[in-house]
Amino acid sequence: MKRLAWWLIRAQFQTRRTATALSMLAIALGVALGYAIHLINDAALADFSQAMKSVQGEPDAVVAPQDSAGRVPLALINELAQDEGVALVVPVIETRVRIGELAVRLVGLDVFSAGLLMPDLLPRQGAAISGDNIFEDGMYASPALLARLGSKVPEGTHRAGAGVTATRGDATWSTRIAGDLPAARPDDLLLVADIARVQAHFGPPDGVSEGRIRLAPDTKLANWLAAWKDRLPPGLTLRAAADNQARLSNISRAYRVNLNVLAMVALLTGGFLVFATQLTAVAQRSTQFALLGVLGLAPRMRLAQVLLEGLAIGVPGAAIGLALGWAMAVAFTRLMGGDLGGGFFSGSAPVIAPEALPALGFFSLGCAASLAGALYPAWLNRMQPLAQALKTGFAQRPPHQDDSPRQRGGKVLAVALVAGAALALTQAPAVFDLPLAGYAAIALVLVLGIAAAPLVTQRVFAALARRELAAAERVAVQNVGQAPLMAQVAASGLIVSFALTVSMVTMVSSFRVALEQWLDAVLPAPYYMRSKGLPLPAELLAALERPDAPFARVERMAVGTASLDPQRPPVAVLVRELDRADPSARLPFAGEVFTAPAGNIPVWISEPMQQLYRLQTGQTLRLPLLGREVEVFVGGVWRDYSRQFGAVVIAAVDYRALGGRVEATDLALWPRRDAGDDATAQRWVREQAARHGIDGVGSGEIRALSLDIFDKSFAVTYALEAAAMLIGLFGLAVTLAASVWLRARELATLSALGFDRAMLTRAVMLEGALIAAIGLAVGLACGIAVGAILTHVVNPQAFHWRMDLQIPWLQVLPGAALTLAAGIMASRFAARQATRLPAAQVLASAQ
Amino acid sequence: MLSIANLSKRHPHSARPVFSGLGLAVAAGEIVALVGESGVGKSTLLNCIAGLETADAGAILVGPQAKDIVRLDEAARAALRATGIGFVFQAFHVLPTLTVAQNVAVPLLLSGVAAREHAPRIESLLARVGLAGFGPRWPGTLSGGELQRVAIARALVHRPALILADEPTGNLDPRTADEILTLLLERVREEGASALIVTHSQHVAQSCDRILTLTPDGLQ
Amino acid sequence: MRRRAFLLAPLLLPALAVARQPAVTYPAASRATRLVFPRDHGAHPEFRTEWWYVTGALDTAQGEAGFQLTFFRSRPGIAEDLASPIAASQILFAHAALTLPGKPLLHAERAGRANLGAGFATTDCDVHIGAWAMRRSGSGVTEQFRLKLHDPAFGFDLTLKPTQPLLLQGENGWSQKGPRPELASHYVSWPQLQVAGSLTLDGRRQPATGRAWFDHEWSSEVLAAGGVGWDWIGINLDDGGALMAFRIRDGAGATLYAHAALRDAAGRLTQFGAGETSFTPLRRWTSPRSGAHYPVQTEIRCGPHTIETLPVQDAQEIAAHRPLPVSYWEGLVKIRGTLSGRGYLELTGYAGALKL
Repeated sequence: MKRLAWWLIRAQFQTRRTATALSMLAIALGVALGYAIHLINDAALADFSQAMKSVQGEPDAVVAPQDSAGRVPLALINELAQDEGVALVVPVIETRVRIGELAVRLVGLDVFSAGLLMPDLLPRQGAAISGDNIFEDGMYASPALLARLGSKVPEGTHRAGAGVTATRGDATWSTRIAGDLPAARPDDLLLVADIARVQAHFGPPDGVSEGRIRLAPDTKLANWLAAWKDRLPPGLTLRAAADNQARLSNISRAYRVNLNVLAMVALLTGGFLVFATQLTAVAQRSTQFALLGVLGLAPRMRLAQVLLEGLAIGVPGAAIGLALGWAMAVAFTRLMGGDLGGGFFSGSAPVIAPEALPALGFFSLGCAASLAGALYPAWLNRMQPLAQALKTGFAQRPPHQDDSPRQRGGKVLAVALVAGAALALTQAPAVFDLPLAGYAAIALVLVLGIAAAPLVTQRVFAALARRELAAAERVAVQNVGQAPLMAQVAASGLIVSFALTVSMVTMVSSFRVALEQWLDAVLPAPYYMRSKGLPLPAELLAALERPDAPFARVERMAVGTASLDPQRPPVAVLVRELDRADPSARLPFAGEVFTAPAGNIPVWISEPMQQLYRLQTGQTLRLPLLGREVEVFVGGVWRDYSRQFGAVVIAAVDYRALGGRVEATDLALWPRRDAGDDATAQRWVREQAARHGIDGVGSGEIRALSLDIFDKSFAVTYALEAAAMLIGLFGLAVTLAASVWLRARELATLSALGFDRAMLTRAVMLEGALIAAIGLAVGLACGIAVGAILTHVVNPQAFHWRMDLQIPWLQVLPGAALTLAAGIMASRFAARQATRLPAAQVLASAQ
Repeated sequence: MLSIANLSKRHPHSARPVFSGLGLAVAAGEIVALVGESGVGKSTLLNCIAGLETADAGAILVGPQAKDIVRLDEAARAALRATGIGFVFQAFHVLPTLTVAQNVAVPLLLSGVAAREHAPRIESLLARVGLAGFGPRWPGTLSGGELQRVAIARALVHRPALILADEPTGNLDPRTADEILTLLLERVREEGASALIVTHSQHVAQSCDRILTLTPDGLQ
Repeated sequence: MRRRAFLLAPLLLPALAVARQPAVTYPAASRATRLVFPRDHGAHPEFRTEWWYVTGALDTAQGEAGFQLTFFRSRPGIAEDLASPIAASQILFAHAALTLPGKPLLHAERAGRANLGAGFATTDCDVHIGAWAMRRSGSGVTEQFRLKLHDPAFGFDLTLKPTQPLLLQGENGWSQKGPRPELASHYVSWPQLQVAGSLTLDGRRQPATGRAWFDHEWSSEVLAAGGVGWDWIGINLDDGGALMAFRIRDGAGATLYAHAALRDAAGRLTQFGAGETSFTPLRRWTSPRSGAHYPVQTEIRCGPHTIETLPVQDAQEIAAHRPLPVSYWEGLVKIRGTLSGRGYLELTGYAGALKL
């Protein structure tokens, strides 16, 4: 039995090499893409959490302020330390300082406690420094930082013991490098000093920035957290350190999911190709299978054989996919780092470490796709009436399935139901922060398109058939009308691939247009200066105050963070100098803008923040600010495509009134009209930026850079679209060829009746054109629907980005025309194959 | 080897039954010719006997165990065909993607004959149908007569009790037809099998042990 | 006097005391100081070194056990002018050990800076590092010390009640440590404390009772030139009396300074000067870990008394790691001779000469 199955599979592979290879390739691509994304992300996450572990240790819990301006009071650290359930509290002050042009992380440590939790950060005394220790005035630099410092200054000055000056805003600490950090990771730019020294120079007063807690072995984390929850002073969070992992994976989650959906598309097309291949294979071999059935091949074996053949495509395809995916992952991480250009993780290339279980998972996915593709053909094969198939060949539909009017009504009803379900799904909220319902709706739209295709075909061809047509045309029209299955297979490939392409083009174009408009709105000033997460140097701010600074207007912005949910990345807090009466002048609002009632502090939140935390314009919100919770009024929601995890804007006036210091990190600059030409301002910005090692650019550059990044990040999408179209066209060619082949006898009969070769070719080409046209029309409709779902449901739910739908007709219609032309070429090829057979031989073979 | 009693069959959309109350018996080793006009239901009867179509009423007992194929489910019918029945078709139906030897091996595989018996059985049978050395060849290189010889070998290789042949010489020229018929009858007799041969040819019919004629009114 | 005053300042915080001349001037222990309690149970942060030290014998289900818990305070003389509430100007260490019959010595240690997970009071004995704590409370019959420590290997929660008045060592608590009068400390002992509470071993809690000895000592300079280590003992005598004796040794093992004090059961205090106090090793135990030869069995003479130490087990060496490795022997001993009782013997400077 096994031997027979093997003979048949081998025969199948030998006679249909191209189709089999392509199906295998598509499956391999889907598996490879998904697996590569998994591997890369896994490695990047592991690398990132390894880095975090090195700097943070592995505490059980962490106490931290909710906003970046807050602190953990010393009293709380002391209270926690005396808790009998606590084995160790490690207080840490972490800040960023500027050393020359470098922005460096400075960690203030208490060696007594930190030595136990974060041994990687323990400093080593410089050999030349005797009688010194970490409690003395001095800093310890990571090897990477030492190397950087060494390369930036004349040789020798930055060896251990050399002087170094760290600044943050107007705070300065001039000291010396007392030693290094031998266990620091090779690319960490890191300074360590005694916690009290860091506090004395950079704050926070009477507090630390974080307490990392290790519990006594017999303390239950959950109980302990619960007991402390109520005792915690306001403005602080106490969270299980495991939440860090959740935060981390939340960061790249939506991004990953979208890439994985692309992988799923590839896998689906792979499955579709298996479907097309196996369906035509079944059709072509229906007589053979019938014979085997007559000879005694059990019905379930006729089913199993086709499934087995599908699997024979899927197994090697998936195996190739795993290897390909691994190779892709290695190549990509070497070239681009662990975030595929997404900008979430930075640093060195992470190490790709495949594990058995995920590999098995992706392997099974590939096999499952091929099995799913073979399922319907297998069932059809199982249901073939043996005696009839042996005599007349493939039956396109199972027996006794002629449509009665009632059945037709049922079909229309089913189509309407599916459409309704798809519509309902687009209204459903995100599940686990993922647009799963949106994806389901997309799947339903595609199903709908495929299911609707025969109905459309019947209608169109019934209408065509009523007209007076030339003989060739009549034959073509009749064939399409009477061979609904093959036509449907051919069309559905085009429907799916064209729908996906149209939807992607639509989404990308909508996004790009929205991005351009947004960039115009958020970049009102001609010049911008920005330091990398650090307060701008006091010297620069002073220079701006001088009368020779060529600017008419300067707006400062300070960026901090606030944590509203310990499991999510914090939202950005943007303190901006803007007119509270007219925030629209600076923020691209979406929807209404309310004026705060008297006495309320207005804030304006970004769309991602609105959606992540389910907020509404006009409501009040307790915002962690300045180490406490401040009640603020949500005055409006503005569009933001840059901070995926949310941002909230507060006017600098209000922030100061609350007792906050605005330590500007960003500047928007408007040149003075009388300052001569624009070049003066530009020169000023460039010189100051170079002097302080910060960014200083014109708005045009930011705009160009942003769009460039956008285009690059969607390059993969374009490649996939091209692949999808090729697969769709290939599907059309394969099915057309098969359907022509199936009707070889009929064509031969026509030929014998006086049709010449040209007429036959024309008939077959027309048939292909008709099928392609219907596939493209339905695909276009589905594509626009899917594009709308992607734009209005998936994007807002996955990335919390909203935008208007833009259908790029100038790309879609020529694309459709091109595909139609390619479809006609494919059917011409099929026609030539068919008409090349001498009619007499075909008739004589009488298959 | 074959015993049909009270068999009735009507096509789904047809008012008239194909046959009703039909009875027939073929003894062990007996070769019976079935003749009749086109469309009278000879092929339907053959399909019913093979379990490819289901009779509406009656019984068809096949093989030494006299299993009633009408009452068997689809899988059991397939199993019965695999072990108990050999087929010869007008259109040969040799699988083009398998070699001659592989084609002949199919019934052995389907009926579960031990693998070590395959090669000797196939070789000797191919020799006896005049195709010694044809084993590795592909069907595409064979003539119609040769293809039908392959089909005869395939019908007999698993030693079925009953051979069903539907116009076995219908696609052959008269001279080849004679050869093939002689071969078929000789081999069937040699194997001790029973056979029911549907044919339009008087020559074929007269070479059989008994001739039955199917008419719209029944068997005669 | 004692012990880790020498150890800690130079070794446990090597750089704190080794090389730099501190910018601060420490007060010297003054003969004129009159101690006032409970205030002087509290910390004296202006002094360089201070410790609170409890040793004792416990009767447990496993038999006779020895325990000790010591808190050290050190003012290294750095970060004094740093404008930060968490400047490392006051640092605390704690050592704890438990000697169980027939078991390896259990040892744990902690360290922390004042006001950042650790702290002390200046008004009474109240010192802690994390959840390790030693606190005094009450007066008269309610007066007690509470000792708490929690470590993965072991823990205890003990209450110590006085059965006798405080014992002020030397002259009203001013205790001379060397030939020069500047080498002195303030030194208060409290022998014969009644112990009740619980002991936690491998996560299982069990009751424990026993007798303990409390020491509190603070000083800025105590070490005579040439000293490499010392032998010290504090004994709760079976008859209710108490004996404390120490000597400071030089590199050759000769005595640089020695002193002893005996308070008998009736409360009469007798002091024995350097000439009247001697230590004579009888048997040495060699530590397989450090290679040091500790005179665990030693004959001590003071005035008319001659006693001999018999360790409950030889292996009572402590290897501390934080912040630097140091080994010394500290353990429960039985006393026989003209006096009998249970005491704690401390032997330092045997595992290589101390670098001073």
